[in-house]
Amino acid sequence: MMEEAASGRVELRIPRQAQFVRVARLAACALAAQLDFTYDVVKDIELAVAEACTNAVEHAVARPAGGRGKAAPAQALGAVADDGCDEIVVRFASDSQQLVVEVIDRGQGFDPRAVEELELEGERLGGLGLMVIRQVMDEVDIECDEQTGTCVRMVKYRAREGR
Amino acid sequence: MTTQLKIESHMEGQYAAVLSLSGEVDVANVARVREAALKLLERQIKRLIVDLSNVEYMDSSGLGALVALLKRVRESGGQMPLAGAKPRVRRLFEITGLDQIFSLHEDVPAALKEGE
Repeated sequence: MMEEAASGRVELRIPRQAQFVRVARLAACALAAQLDFTYDVVKDIELAVAEACTNAVEHAVARPAGGRGKAAPAQALGAVADDGCDEIVVRFASDSQQLVVEVIDRGQGFDPRAVEELELEGERLGGLGLMVIRQVMDEVDIECDEQTGTCVRMVKYRAREGR
Repeated sequence: MTTQLKIESHMEGQYAAVLSLSGEVDVANVARVREAALKLLERQIKRLIVDLSNVEYMDSSGLGALVALLKRVRESGGQMPLAGAKPRVRRLFEITGLDQIFSLHEDVPAALKEGE
């Protein structure tokens, strides 16, 4: 499932199913722990990876046949898309300055603008998963493309570790 | 591969119940938490204490479920204090601002006193 490439890069592919999010987050925890992050930062990275994968599972919509067009809603959690977009790719790359994690959903992916916002007594709480990611990582960038899917790119600076 | 989550519950008097969660709460098992809580709410309780003291990991899926439950409990005039959250779990509430929404207590006895 996990293959190691040159220069500190690791790529993990998991089925786009809720029960496999745990695999990605435990891998993130193990990889971050090999770097010189503190325990709390390691757990933050673990959480961010889990949230990005959860978004891919919960909000992903299957890419319509033929590419562009009206997307069909994903089936219930645990369902597997039938268009070859049934996996989440998690890429880790580290150097002396930072750890970069990319969570890529090759289906149509989730649209961060369409993530359901929680509301309590009239107060909008926002999409909690994205809020968590933005709070615990140093840089977050989300790219959505109907053709290529969604990539959540997260960076944690090693130099700022422990802040 | 199963994410370990244990759910227990008991009544505290006629109108209060304690829902105790142990292990990890995430997208793969949060439906079980929701289901167990809703079953307790069917008993017309006024106070649902959620004991988080043995929760080792929780993500926004768990938070979302707790927000939805809190909304439901408040709509029926009840209370839903949380008890015993460990530092990592408490941090999740803090970074999302939900520590201002929920009533967080050190332990179940302290949570039981809320509203008395």
